[in-house]
Amino acid sequence: MIALNVNGKNYNVDVDPATPLLWVLRDVLGLTGTKYGCGIEVCGACTVMIDGQREHSCVFDVSSATGKKVVTIEGLSVDRSHPAQQAWIKHQVPQCGYCQPGMIMACASAMQAGHYGKEILSEMNHICICGTYSRIKDAVGEL
Amino acid sequence: MTTHTNTAPTQEIAATLATHTLNRRGFLKFSANGLALAFALPLIGRVEEASAAITTQDLANAYIHVSPNGSITLAFGGAEMGQGSMSGLAQILAEELMVDWTQISVMQAVANPVISYTTGGSSAVSRRFTTLRNAGAAARELLIAAAMQEAGDSNRDNFKAEHAKIIYLPDTQVWWDYGELASAAAGMTLPNDLRLTNPANFRLIGKPLPRVDIPAKVDGSAKFGIDIFMPGMVFAAIKHCPTIGGTLASTPAKPAGALAVVACTASNTRGAVIANSKNAVAVVASNSWLAFKLAKKMAVSWSLPVSTAAVDSAQILAYAQAQLVSGAALVAEPLPPASYTPQSYAPVLAADVANTMGVPTIDATYSVPYLAHATMEVLNCTVNIVYAGDSPVSCEIWAPTQSATAVAANAALLTQLPATAIVVHTTFLGGGLGRKIEQDYIWQAIQVGMAVRKPVKLTWMREEDFGHDQYRPLALSRVKAKLAGGLIQAWSYRTLSQSITAQRGRLSAGSVDSQAVEGAIHLPYALGKYLVEWVPLEAGIPVGYWRSVGASINSFVVESMMDELAMAAGIDPFRFRYNHLVGGDARAIATLQAADVLSSSWRKQLPAGHAWGVALAQAFGTWVCEVVEISQPAAGSLRVHRVDCVVDCGTVINPGSVEAQMQGGILHALNATLWGEALFKAGVATKLNFNNSRVMRLSEMPAVRVQIMPSTNAPSGIGEPGVPPLAPALANAYARLSGTRIRKLPLFANATMGGL
Repeated sequence: MIALNVNGKNYNVDVDPATPLLWVLRDVLGLTGTKYGCGIEVCGACTVMIDGQREHSCVFDVSSATGKKVVTIEGLSVDRSHPAQQAWIKHQVPQCGYCQPGMIMACASAMQAGHYGKEILSEMNHICICGTYSRIKDAVGEL
Repeated sequence: MTTHTNTAPTQEIAATLATHTLNRRGFLKFSANGLALAFALPLIGRVEEASAAITTQDLANAYIHVSPNGSITLAFGGAEMGQGSMSGLAQILAEELMVDWTQISVMQAVANPVISYTTGGSSAVSRRFTTLRNAGAAARELLIAAAMQEAGDSNRDNFKAEHAKIIYLPDTQVWWDYGELASAAAGMTLPNDLRLTNPANFRLIGKPLPRVDIPAKVDGSAKFGIDIFMPGMVFAAIKHCPTIGGTLASTPAKPAGALAVVACTASNTRGAVIANSKNAVAVVASNSWLAFKLAKKMAVSWSLPVSTAAVDSAQILAYAQAQLVSGAALVAEPLPPASYTPQSYAPVLAADVANTMGVPTIDATYSVPYLAHATMEVLNCTVNIVYAGDSPVSCEIWAPTQSATAVAANAALLTQLPATAIVVHTTFLGGGLGRKIEQDYIWQAIQVGMAVRKPVKLTWMREEDFGHDQYRPLALSRVKAKLAGGLIQAWSYRTLSQSITAQRGRLSAGSVDSQAVEGAIHLPYALGKYLVEWVPLEAGIPVGYWRSVGASINSFVVESMMDELAMAAGIDPFRFRYNHLVGGDARAIATLQAADVLSSSWRKQLPAGHAWGVALAQAFGTWVCEVVEISQPAAGSLRVHRVDCVVDCGTVINPGSVEAQMQGGILHALNATLWGEALFKAGVATKLNFNNSRVMRLSEMPAVRVQIMPSTNAPSGIGEPGVPPLAPALANAYARLSGTRIRKLPLFANATMGGL
């Protein structure tokens, strides 16, 4: 059993220790907000925060998360009140919405590190196919 | 305002509807716990999949519901894949129903012949504009009729609907909530005059209202197909024969750690892939990653037909080049006069054009490659088939699909269950782009569900998604044109491509595939003597609908050629286009002029080393003009600084959604223009993930400005028309920047992309 702390809750999961955290979140814990996009840490859709740092959960072994605090999009706020979520709604950023949890988690991580505006953008250089980049820039511009 | 997904028990309503007949307006109304109103809508997007079992021809396919508790719901029968149609339709309905934006909910309907429609062809909202207005107005008038009965006053002018209330004007202290009237309204007779709102008084249509699906998309609660999760479910990965057209020699043994191995057949014939051939195997495990890992490692013995060796980019290109010269060409435009048949007219027309052409001023061949869709959400489908003994008794499916009715039909075919035992939930789509209209992944998941007899989610690894797509067709286009006095005197356009329609068995022999020539016909320009021809290309690559379809190909060619001719004539590209639009389509001219004005200040003061290009195109009834600014900091790279975009899509429902779709179309086209290409070597796709299929990252996105033309014309599509003008505008800018004309896309072949 592998002990995990996700969004403030403790879990014990019975999986291969080499299983990427992404798939434990999605297929074992049912926390499906974190997305699979490429599996090779190119796209950023799987971004979560681990001890405050943004990480690509598609290549992060679940066993390495033991003893650390994992935060996913579901744990960012209980009521969409995080400033990034509010800015995303205000600027009507999502289209299909699939890459947005990863974008928002990277943004939140950069904000937590004390960054602003363009500094934040440089840390969320993810892939979106819908073309929400323009509105993400607008939204992050006010953070 | 809430959005409910996966919750719409509309089956019983469908059954009710089947016993009714449409009245002369095409409405149905019936009492179903309040007022429910169904209305006939145009049933299909342009790209409806031909599928058996469900005929939707005479049924209505959307409905609204006003419940006794006052809640007002639109059942949404399409696919919300980011284009905002779920909200756009509700916005139209709320307008005529006289309710506020916060008073209406949207419910995703389960697949149903009454409500569901295939989402494609940029038609989801525009084609339903009039019908939804009529439906909203009809519901409102029925509620007013109920109020008239309650008040004992037969003068309609004494009643007014607003904010989901009917107010009695002689005594405004008297009013009814819609909910109070809903049940009685169901028994009223629909009046002749629906009192449609004067567009000048629209409260909601034309306003940038917040979309109903966005809150769930910022907190992780939006459920895409890949997010379906239920206790006890198992997870499957698909492994196709890497060679397109190859099949299983034998079903492999179950690897250690797997729960099951299931041979899967192909749903449809697509090029070298043959319907019902076993072209893939699914591995079922306790989580998706384990299934992926086992599928990747599993040794499988495949049978490869000899023909698959020809499914090869180099061979196809060589064959295409020969066919462009010697293949039988079909005339797409102009149509023959009455005194000719198409066959007898072709040589006469060709001779006429050749006579004026003489030696062409420019004779150029352009080429575009096959392209993958690569939606951010890979293909997936969840199935739960319940058995009693060895017989299935029910089948429930959750799928990110553009065609829920096709999914239901395929479930009926495979399980042999009656339609009443099949429930299909359309989830949010993490991008559709035309790919999720196809049924291959659905067909596989149903087979896996039948084999494992418990809830199972089938997911394609990204590599399978890239490697087994139904690709935007490759095309070669040869254009010849003659200039005299700065004007085009003759224009000969011959394009060659695989037919998407023919690959679906729906193109009669000797016919032109209209999608293969869209963007090349009905041009707004005066072209003198002209001829547009199409040469069908036979090849084994599965081809499919890719955002903007043929317009993504032909607009690149036409608008690049217009620019080449402008350069040859020494005339400004805007001016050259105006000169060929004299007396032509007023909307095309106005769109071009607006883009000219919008971009004029920055074009006049371009920094050294920067250049601009313009292109104008119509797709799905919408005109779009884009002006692009670029520079080239170093060989092998390009910086796109800005794109100014002017769009005329007729009446605007939600300007915020129009802007978003233009931004999205521009990005999609930038990816394709700069780097996009799907390549095949002896039947095997060689670009299987984003690391060697480069796309633009956030930091590279140009500044995009979108200006929407005011219009009272009928609404037209917005999902796709942003794509076509971008490639030629960029190529035209590049020609000015570098002196080199791009006639072959992508601009940067074999581009790679590093990790984050």
